[in-house]
Amino acid sequence: MASRAMNLAQRQVKPILSLDQDEARKRAINLYRAWNKQLPFIVRHFDIPKSVEQCRQILREEFTKHENLTDVRVIDMLIIKGQMELQESVNNWKQKGHIMSYFKETIEPKPKDFLSKFLQGVD
Amino acid sequence: MLRITVQKALKGGFLSPKHVSPMLSKGTGDVQKKPQQIEVFVDDKPVMVDPGTTVLQAAAMVGVEIPRFCYHERLAVAGNCRMCLVEVERSPKPVAACAMPVMKGWRIKTNSEMTKKAREGVMEFLLVNHPLDCPICDQGGECDLQDQSMAFGSDRSRFTDIEYSGKRAVEDKDIGPLIKTIMTRCIHCTRCIRFASEVAGIDDLGTTGRGSDMQVGTYVEKFFLSELSGNVIDLCPVGALTSKPYSFAARPWEIRRTDSIDVLDAIGSNIVVCTRTGEVLRILPRVNELVNEEWLSDKARFAYDGLKRQRLITPMLRNGFGELEPVDWECALVSVGKKILKAGKNVGAIAGGMAEAEALVALKDLINKIGSEKVCTEHAYPTTGSGTDIRSSYLLNNKIARIEEADLVLLIGTNTRLEAPLLNSRIRKGYVHNETQIFVIGPKVDLRYDYTHLGTDPGVIKDIEYGKHQFTTVLKRAKKPVIIVGPDALSRPDGAGILLHIQSLAKIIQACVTEPDWWVLNILHKVAGQVAALDIGYTPGTKSIVQDDSLKVLYLLGADENIPCRKDLPKDCFVIYQGHHGDKGACMADAVLPGAAYTEKQATYVNTEGRAQQTTVAVTPPGFCREDWKIIRALSDIIGKTLPYDNLDQIRCRLEEIAPHLTRYGDAENGNFYDVSLDIGKQSNVEIETDPLCVTQNCLEDFYMTDVISRASSTMAKCVSAVRQQKSSQY
Amino acid sequence: MASLILRSRISTSRILKTCSANISTTLSNFADINKAACLKDAKQIRKEVALMKREDIIQKQEHDNATITIEKPSEISTVSGIPEEHIKTRRVKIYMPTKNAMQSGTDNTHHWEMEFETRERWENPLMGWTSSGDPLSNMNVQFTSKDDAIAFCEKNGWPWFVQEPYKCKPMKPKSYADNFSWSKRTRVSTK
Repeated sequence: MASRAMNLAQRQVKPILSLDQDEARKRAINLYRAWNKQLPFIVRHFDIPKSVEQCRQILREEFTKHENLTDVRVIDMLIIKGQMELQESVNNWKQKGHIMSYFKETIEPKPKDFLSKFLQGVD
Repeated sequence: MLRITVQKALKGGFLSPKHVSPMLSKGTGDVQKKPQQIEVFVDDKPVMVDPGTTVLQAAAMVGVEIPRFCYHERLAVAGNCRMCLVEVERSPKPVAACAMPVMKGWRIKTNSEMTKKAREGVMEFLLVNHPLDCPICDQGGECDLQDQSMAFGSDRSRFTDIEYSGKRAVEDKDIGPLIKTIMTRCIHCTRCIRFASEVAGIDDLGTTGRGSDMQVGTYVEKFFLSELSGNVIDLCPVGALTSKPYSFAARPWEIRRTDSIDVLDAIGSNIVVCTRTGEVLRILPRVNELVNEEWLSDKARFAYDGLKRQRLITPMLRNGFGELEPVDWECALVSVGKKILKAGKNVGAIAGGMAEAEALVALKDLINKIGSEKVCTEHAYPTTGSGTDIRSSYLLNNKIARIEEADLVLLIGTNTRLEAPLLNSRIRKGYVHNETQIFVIGPKVDLRYDYTHLGTDPGVIKDIEYGKHQFTTVLKRAKKPVIIVGPDALSRPDGAGILLHIQSLAKIIQACVTEPDWWVLNILHKVAGQVAALDIGYTPGTKSIVQDDSLKVLYLLGADENIPCRKDLPKDCFVIYQGHHGDKGACMADAVLPGAAYTEKQATYVNTEGRAQQTTVAVTPPGFCREDWKIIRALSDIIGKTLPYDNLDQIRCRLEEIAPHLTRYGDAENGNFYDVSLDIGKQSNVEIETDPLCVTQNCLEDFYMTDVISRASSTMAKCVSAVRQQKSSQY
Repeated sequence: MASLILRSRISTSRILKTCSANISTTLSNFADINKAACLKDAKQIRKEVALMKREDIIQKQEHDNATITIEKPSEISTVSGIPEEHIKTRRVKIYMPTKNAMQSGTDNTHHWEMEFETRERWENPLMGWTSSGDPLSNMNVQFTSKDDAIAFCEKNGWPWFVQEPYKCKPMKPKSYADNFSWSKRTRVSTK
């Protein structure tokens, strides 16, 4: 028996950065713009074999992955993490390998349908 | 004076000269009045207890656990270890908490100076003659003596005698291939003796000698042959009695414990599977008051080494030379799928005794989707009349825990000792504590308690029902009678007739019972998967498959006991075997699909009372094995009739759709519609034949090898040879 | 770049105004010494607060006292660091640990625990230790109540199920005298 009815009671929590959805949305959009402006410099500096357009696509995917979140604190945490990633890229604390790992080229896709999962023996 | 009644001697039942069992006596009608409770103070905490409660029990009610070695809540009180001594105010001597009943107003102090000194003293004496075996003792890490000496013993030893006469040493006794005895470590708590005498019913263990020469053993070289013998290993507080197959295997802190259920019989005992690096090291019981108390049968406890032998590891297909050759999953599933598609609607399935509810439901859904209705279990059951449509006609309705409260038990066509050892221990508990009378219709087997044998002729049932037998009055006068019918009586060709007459007898008796929620009719099963299969809608018995001449594909889901042999099936029939061990089923199959054993899957099993329980994964399936329901789901994908569930939650939703009790783990529903079942049964014309009732498991030799896992186990083989060896001995 | 720390002007007069220290400069007599001995230290000022503008201080105070209302179930599984496959595919069992059958102590059985289902474990060929590819194989969190355990699993997004502890039977008084009863079967043959 998996999860039963989840706890939907209202709860009051302390905010991390933003106090409401609009502020969080503003912060997210600011972060996106900052990344977008930095992308050409990243491509040239790290000399990665991808075009700026491909980088923009990956950036868009990373942001739209979390488009359905409603918890403001979680959005704030993700914004802080995104900010940290940007800072690391700008200050050359990351190397080419770290930037290329955003493109997930060497990760084999996991099987999604039942038969492939069964034949491979994964859960 | 102990007297044996003349009538009893004439009847010639299983006599034990020490016990007096009042034959044909009235049931004691004692009206239970709530006794006045007494107030006692344990460590200044007041508690109200019934009169007669011991000091130890009163302390346990408060939450104070008094250390003890010889006391066990399910055995008689012995009071010989003296570790439970506590101070009671205004008493010059400490009292043995396990034996002393409380008096009004007593102030019990479990942490005072006198108590502590008493415990240190007792511990010192116990350790005087105890060998320094901890590094080589299997009990190290889970030893009561170790823990209590750390908690309550003194920190230094005063044993100077080691320089002179040294410690006592005792020879090891050989009591069987299951129990390793190192009697030097024995502290003479007599728990094993009391267990053997009270619970197992075998009076073989005892003490010989006195003082420092006292030895616990069988005195003569005799094996301790009981189906519950492994429980003394749990009971022994020190490493004197340990498990021989598990000796020197692991330490308790490296073991990972997984709670699970035993499926080698229909009781569904709760077990703890102990594993380390992906192999099962031992199986211990878990406490469940409603099913197995704290005990476990030997087969459940020691058959785990069969899980490593004769395993089916890869899918196999029979090649042109008639040999089974290993193939990979895709190839096997595609070949099997092709055969099924070619067969059209002529597909049948037989489910074995260890098939879990998830696999059963997946298989039935698949076979039904193909268009066939031929899904059956290999163990037969009467299908005429209401058959298996009404649950109360195939369950142990009164529940295992309440059997011990019965004052009259009628066993028909069953050897409960070997078919359901934990049910037998409950009946024996009733026999010892509740003055239960037991009557048996069937073969005269050794049940380890006295019973009155009413004969082997099933016609006796009819006689009792119509009032022609003297036993009828006894049965009607009993306050809590219970009738337990065995599976071998009902799988006969005239099983339907026997069941019908038992049902009508039970109805007559139920009318005389005034106890609320007490059910007279109880059916016992031999295998763990039968009740779930009947709940899901399988036809019991392979008659419909054997009689079908147009069968093209036969799917065996772990079926090895009662399958039709090759010559009984049509020539071109393609047999698929899905299971975990290579036994008769895999030998005769054309395609073998390896499944997971009960320790390797999270599965639902329903025991004979109708209680659904689930096993959990303790080790992952070896090799290429997969979970059974997943194989069937993958097969359904290949043949195009995809089943609507992808993960465990979804298939359990499907189980709940079919029968809600299958996912309500731990609860057992009450059966009902007894009268309806009887009325429908009366409409069919069935009668009892005159063949005497017999059981397949008659003596202890037959107990150890009843299913694929125990047949593959070398420990079980050693047990069988020990039983045979004991037969030739003079004791 | 979105910056969290605002720039501000240093203003000594403002610091002095926001300080709330009582500094006594005269020690005339013994009464004053006693008073001086009882004086507490000045409140420490954090440097970020010291350099902030007044508007920003007010905003910060509002922010510290503000709360957000969360209605929907928790979504922290995206930021908790656990890979998604170990949230979606794992199942949690919440149970009370069972007493070891070989011992008679029950001190370690009166709480609730959660554990994950067992994944593949094998013997490492080098030393014979147990290897596993499962990062959550040793994750055993203990709780005082069942609801705490369930709340934790819900918060992290794991599917869970509860294994109810066995129901204790009511205690029946035991009697040593039963061993010696005259006609009952509880008379023991072994003493």
